[in-house]
Amino acid sequence: MRTVKSAESDPISGALAADRLGAPSVVYFVLSAAAPLTVVAGVVTTAYAITGITGLPVAFLVVGIVLAVFAVGYVAMARHMANAGAFYTYVTRGLGRPAGIAAAWVALIAYNALQVGLYGAFGAATTPLIERWAGVTPPWWVVSLIAWALVAVLGVMRVDVNGRLLAVLLTAEVAVILLFDLADLINPAPSGFSMETLSPGALFEPGVGALLVIATLGFVGFESSVVFSEESREPRRTVPLATYSAVAIIAGLYALSSWAMTVATGPAAIVATAQRDQADTIFVLAAQHLGGTVVDIARVLFATSVFAAMISFHNTTARYFFALGRERVLPAVFGRTRARSGAPKAGSIAQSVFGLVVIAVYALLGLDPLVQLFFYGGSFGGFGVLLLIFVTSIAIIVFFLREPSGETVARRLVAPVPAAIALAVMVWLALDNFGTLLGVPEGDPLAWILPAVYGVAVVVGLLWAITLRSRQPAVYSQVGMGAKAATTRDLT
Amino acid sequence: MLADDFFLVAWDTTGSGRSRLHLQGIALGLAGALIAELVLAQRISVRGVRLGMVDARPVGEKVADNVLSEISNSSHHTDVRTWLAYLAQRSVADVSGRLESAGLLQRETPKLLKRRQPRYFSTDFSRAMWPVTRLRLGLVRRQPLSPEDMALATLVDACDLTGTVLDEPSDRRVARQYLTTLLAAMPQPLSDLSRQVGAAVGDAVLTYRI
Repeated sequence: MRTVKSAESDPISGALAADRLGAPSVVYFVLSAAAPLTVVAGVVTTAYAITGITGLPVAFLVVGIVLAVFAVGYVAMARHMANAGAFYTYVTRGLGRPAGIAAAWVALIAYNALQVGLYGAFGAATTPLIERWAGVTPPWWVVSLIAWALVAVLGVMRVDVNGRLLAVLLTAEVAVILLFDLADLINPAPSGFSMETLSPGALFEPGVGALLVIATLGFVGFESSVVFSEESREPRRTVPLATYSAVAIIAGLYALSSWAMTVATGPAAIVATAQRDQADTIFVLAAQHLGGTVVDIARVLFATSVFAAMISFHNTTARYFFALGRERVLPAVFGRTRARSGAPKAGSIAQSVFGLVVIAVYALLGLDPLVQLFFYGGSFGGFGVLLLIFVTSIAIIVFFLREPSGETVARRLVAPVPAAIALAVMVWLALDNFGTLLGVPEGDPLAWILPAVYGVAVVVGLLWAITLRSRQPAVYSQVGMGAKAATTRDLT
Repeated sequence: MLADDFFLVAWDTTGSGRSRLHLQGIALGLAGALIAELVLAQRISVRGVRLGMVDARPVGEKVADNVLSEISNSSHHTDVRTWLAYLAQRSVADVSGRLESAGLLQRETPKLLKRRQPRYFSTDFSRAMWPVTRLRLGLVRRQPLSPEDMALATLVDACDLTGTVLDEPSDRRVARQYLTTLLAAMPQPLSDLSRQVGAAVGDAVLTYRI
C-alpha cells in the first residue's frame, strides 16, 4: 500500500503551517474591525435617540441568525474563489461581471461612508475627555482633523499597529462592556426588570426596517473572515468556525448590551435618556454604580475603539481601491503599492482626501458630528453593506446551481435560499423605513436621496461594465480576480 | 546571479543600508528570483501556476542547489505560490548570506534592537550600482535585454519597485509600456513566474492583518 506523506513529515507544509492562523486569531481580527465599544457606546445609543423605537436588542439577535444562515453558503463559496476578500467578487462569480462591477461601486461608497462617519464619532468620543483633562472644549472638527491626519499617515506608512496591542484593547473593551451590562442588570429602573426589548413583539413596531439596518451595521466586518482563507491552518474548518463564532459573539454581546441599557433606564425611558446624554449614555448610566475611575477608563477605551475602527475601515477601503486597481477596473495607479511600506498608496490617499472633504464640509455647514456624520454615515454605509449581503446571497445560490462544486445540498440551497428571502425582506423594510432610520419626518427628501445614491452607483457600474466589455475586453475578463488578475493578464 | 542583482536593486546598500522595499515584498521578490535562477539554468520549469523538475543536477552554487534539492525532494508540491511562500521565509537571509560570503556585502546588526532588520552595506560601489543602472538604461532606452535581465526587470516591477528605480515620471511611463512588451515577448516560464510574484505581493496587501 502506498503511504501518503503526512503534514508532519513534509517540511514544506510544516514550515508554512507555522505561520498560519487558527480560528481564535481570525475571530480577533474580525472583532477588532467590528470595534464593539464603538457600536455599543456610539451606534446603539444614537440609534435609540434617533429612531425613537426600542426593539434593537431583539433586532441584533434576528440579524445575527439571518447572517449565520447566510454565512453557511458564504463560507462554502469562499472555498471556490480565487479572491475571497470582498462581496463584489462573489457577485461577479455568481451573477456576472456587470453586476460585480456595480457591486464594487456600491461597496466603495458604503465603506467610505462608514469610514468618514467615524471621524464624527471620534470628535464626540474625545471631546468629553479633553474637557475633563485640559479644561478646554475644542470644536469637534479640530479633534477629528488630528485623527484624520494620523489615520492618513498611518495608512500610507502602513505602520504596524501591533496585533497584540489591538488584542489587549479589544479584550479590555469587551470586559468593560460586560461590566457595564452587569451593573445595568443588577440595578434595574424603578419600573422593574423588563425583558420587553428582547421579545420578538418589539419587532412588530412601525420603523422596524431602521432597526435591521442598525443591527446589520453592528455586524460589518464579519465578512472579512474569508480574507484569511489562504492564511489559515485548515481553511475548511478555521474559516467557517471563525465566521460563525464572530457572528454569535457580536449578536450576543450587542443584544445583551442594548437590552441592559433598557433595563437600567426602563424601556419607556431609554429614548429620552439617549436623546439627552447621546454618546455619553452608557457612561452616565455606569457612573451611578461603578465610580469615576472605571468610567474614565471606559471613555478612553471608547476613543481608542473608534480610532482602531477608523484605521481598520481606512485600510479596508484602501484595499478595495487596490483590488480594483489591480484588476484595472480603476486606473492602474490604484493597484500599486508604496515600495517602502507595501501600503496601497493611491487608495489610501483617495480615502483620506474624501475624509478631509467631508470633515471640512460638515465643519463649514455646522452639521452635527454625532448624528449627521457618524450616525447618518453609519446608517447609509450599513444599508449599503446590507444591499451587498443581499445581492451576494443571490449570487451564492446562482453560483451553486451552475457549479455544485462538491458542496452538500444544505450548503448550496437549504441555507442560502431562506437567507436570501430574509435578506430581501430586510432590504425592503429598510427602504420603507429609511425616514425612521434617519429620524427625519415623513416625506423628507433625505429618506429617498440616500438610498438613491446606491441606485445611481449601480447604474454607473453597469454602464462602466458595458464600456469595459467593448473597449477593454482584457480588463473586463479579469473582474473579480483581485490581486490574481496579474496572473491571467492578456497583453494589450 | 539573478537574486543577487534583485537584492542590490531592492536594498539601499550604498546609502542607508536599509531595504527599499517592505519586508514581505522583498522576501517574495527574492523567492521569485531564486526560482528564476533555476529556470534560467534549465533545472526547473514554470507553466501557469505550476512548477516542475526538469533536471536535478546541481548548478554548483550552495543557495541555488539547496533550493533545487528541496524542490526535487518535495516534488508533490507543484504550486508556484507554495514555493514562493516557503522560500520567502528565508530568502533575505539566503541571498544576503550569499553576497556576504562573496565579500560583496557587509552586515551591521543593530546593537540595541536585535529584532530589527540588520543593515547591509556594499563593499564594492560600482558592483552594487550596476544592476540598477543596467535596468534604468535598458528600460528607458527600450534596449533588448538578456533573459536574466528581463526576469530581473519584471520581478522588480512585480514588487512595485519600478517607481523607485526610475525617478522621472516620464521615464516610468516609457518603462511601464516597455515592461508590458517584455512580458509578452520574454520566455513564458519567466513571465509566468513574474506574474505569480506580482499576485503574491498583491495578495499580501489584501490579506494584511488589520
